[in-house]
Amino acid sequence: MTKQDPQNRCFLELRNIHKRFGGVHALRGVDMSLQAGEVYHLLGENGCGKSTVIKIMAGAHPPSEGQIILDGEVHDELTPIQSLDFGIETVYQDLSLIPNLTVMENVALGEQLVEGHGRLLRTLDRARLKETATKALSQVGLNVTAELLSTIVSDLPLAIRQLVAIARAIACEARLVIMDEPTTSLTRREVENLIDVVSKLRSRNVAVLFVTHKLEECYRIGGHAIVFRDGQCVAQGPINNYSRTDLAELMTGRKISEKRYRTGAPSAETLMVLDRLEVPGRFRDVSFKLHKGEVLGITGLSDSGRNELALAIAGIKPAAGGSISVNGKPVRIHSASESIDAGIGYVPEDRLSEGLFLDKSIYQNEIALILRKLASKFGILDMKKGKEIARDISEKMRLNTADIELPVSALSGGNQQRVLIGRWLSIDPEILVLHGPTVGVDVGSKDAIYQTIQKMAEQGIGLVIVSDDLPELLQNCDRILVMSAGEIVADLNGAGANEDEIYQAMLGSVQEGAA
Amino acid sequence: MSAAGTSHNQAAANAGPGGGLSGLIAKRPEFVTLVLLMAICIAVTIANPAFLQPSTLIDIGRASVVTGLFALGVFVILAAGGIDVSFTAIAALTMYSITLLVQKYAPDLSIVVVFAIAIAGGVFLGVVNGFLVYTLRVPSLIVTIGTQYFFRGGLLAFIGTTWIMELPGEMATFGRLSLLEFETANGAIVSLPVYFLILPVVAVLTWWIMRRTLMGRAIFSLGGNPEVTARLGYNVKIVHLFVFGYAGALAGLAGIVHITANRLANPFDLVGTEISVIAAVVLGGARITGGTGSVIGTMLGVLLVVVVDNVLVMVGIPSTWQRVFVGAFILLAAAFFVTRQRKFKPAK
Repeated sequence: MTKQDPQNRCFLELRNIHKRFGGVHALRGVDMSLQAGEVYHLLGENGCGKSTVIKIMAGAHPPSEGQIILDGEVHDELTPIQSLDFGIETVYQDLSLIPNLTVMENVALGEQLVEGHGRLLRTLDRARLKETATKALSQVGLNVTAELLSTIVSDLPLAIRQLVAIARAIACEARLVIMDEPTTSLTRREVENLIDVVSKLRSRNVAVLFVTHKLEECYRIGGHAIVFRDGQCVAQGPINNYSRTDLAELMTGRKISEKRYRTGAPSAETLMVLDRLEVPGRFRDVSFKLHKGEVLGITGLSDSGRNELALAIAGIKPAAGGSISVNGKPVRIHSASESIDAGIGYVPEDRLSEGLFLDKSIYQNEIALILRKLASKFGILDMKKGKEIARDISEKMRLNTADIELPVSALSGGNQQRVLIGRWLSIDPEILVLHGPTVGVDVGSKDAIYQTIQKMAEQGIGLVIVSDDLPELLQNCDRILVMSAGEIVADLNGAGANEDEIYQAMLGSVQEGAA
Repeated sequence: MSAAGTSHNQAAANAGPGGGLSGLIAKRPEFVTLVLLMAICIAVTIANPAFLQPSTLIDIGRASVVTGLFALGVFVILAAGGIDVSFTAIAALTMYSITLLVQKYAPDLSIVVVFAIAIAGGVFLGVVNGFLVYTLRVPSLIVTIGTQYFFRGGLLAFIGTTWIMELPGEMATFGRLSLLEFETANGAIVSLPVYFLILPVVAVLTWWIMRRTLMGRAIFSLGGNPEVTARLGYNVKIVHLFVFGYAGALAGLAGIVHITANRLANPFDLVGTEISVIAAVVLGGARITGGTGSVIGTMLGVLLVVVVDNVLVMVGIPSTWQRVFVGAFILLAAAFFVTRQRKFKPAK
């Protein structure tokens, strides 16, 4: 598979690619060339055309104009099977796993499909299925057991699904592995392992194309940066030639600083007290105080119990022991609606499946929590008032679209997240729990979200940010609680802490526990 | 790295279905069907020991063939995330037109050829369904409601409405060929017909396709997430044509079995039994929204429906109550399966 001409290592080239979706001109003449064994980082804000360019390489979309050149052979478009046949493997942002098939099948079926050039009337080579899956899964750092192989993908937690999706991409003899935000739900430890996988791929002369918002990871991995803005490639070159601010400026076309957003300070008034909260097997003995106007960060590895803690406060998976009190009064939170009644809002991690009504309009999404308030005696909704409120929220959230009638599915990830956070502004919560508020969100939207977070804190709302993104916590929080193995192991000052310190705390007690 | 692996797998195990009974139900939903079936059989045997006579069992076996063939077709389509309500009309159209043709032009035609023609006709009509579902991108329920009316209306309007009481040649004798025959205590002769063999053969074939070929995986994949299936390089059009064509083939086959068993070709027959076939498949653990199910479960579901249809009379429950029972079982099974369904959501 690696019969490369040493003079010309460029094996894939895009020439003047255009793509139009109806009236939207998503790609405007993209030229790109990829060389074997290189690592590329495709950078840009949401909606800049990154995903479209990937889909054209993967054969999911035909380009409207332009050529794709594979090993010197010119194509006007690719089918998925042609692309796979050539050795282009993609880890999509939505992971593209088949939920009802097993881990083994998801990882290894593609190999046999591609071998038969898409022919379906073949018997499965089950021994090979197992062999291929085992090899690929252990490469991404999973401990392969018969149980894991036969687990149905929909029964897996998100982070493992992401690893399974990566395993699928490397299961075949690929020449180019494209990863569309592969690390969004991975913890640092898993990211380290992925970086390892990438260098192994490189050494086998495989090219890797990352699409990511995490600049920090790009620098760690190294390689080339390709920056997109508004459907065009605006910069290309070794990533170390660009500083973070250079890249942010290239992506947004405006200046963004890496400042600390947190400006205010919490009031002395206690808002919420957690006392020895517990969900058996997930976390235990979690106690902390949240003050009015405070921004509290919570972090930890994905199995540290931080996710379950967020869900317990939100009433989605209620705690079994301990107590929560708000404004000095104990509250009973056994369901999401009880949590809302107690003044607690929750913005979920997976906004697409847990938070938004994708095919409904922006304003319908924003007023979803206050329908009862908008209804007249006879249950008829006051839509005029609803739209007024929605317009107000959109303005506060700096949504760049004036049209509140647009379906949420038409928005970029960053704008979707702003709609979701904005929804809570409609009920004036006292406490807002944000779970991964900027996962898969571009630099410009992050800025808007962080400013909103700070504004809400100024209004006296107590905010809890549960996140993996350490710079995010350091930029926004007064205090950062670090969880490990179900317990709070560190309580750090947001202004004074640094990433290393947090990272040590996250891992520290794991090692202690193992010893 | 190994530490990472261990914690992952623990998380995977925790997130997966738990052990014990609920775990078993989640992993093998047809277990519920089996328990239900055994409970009914035991109850009926206690009430009326005559149930365990070979003659009753043979009756059940005979009665299962047509429903079973239909059900296997429905299972394959359900697994791919579709639904079909036109298969009975396909069966009626092929069986009646073929009987007419054979009677008129080739009364001595071998039964094997008759089956082959019926299967070919069924495949053709099924492929029409598949083609429409794929190209129109309309839910298959709507398409097959349309084609059911179309196939059946065409049959009654253009081909014929009279019963054919005298089947031609081998079509008349095939239904009487018996695999084994014996006399019961009261002197009646009971026989297990040769056509019974068709069901296990087709069941094994279906199992093999679904479990051992790439097509089978593509079918489940399509039922799990059609968009992703196309993205991964599966030819979604071929899968559509295959599942509907396969169900059509089984419907054509079932139609001929039906008339040779009844020794009568009635154009008004079969249509109207779709719901109980779909009920049997769903009772066997296949989800109506696609992507799940098994051949063994489908067969257990068919047996359950057939037993309820044929046996409740033996314990003095009037036949009008059979539907109440089937309905209750469907609700009961649904309640059991719901634990699994909550877990099953698309990985978006």
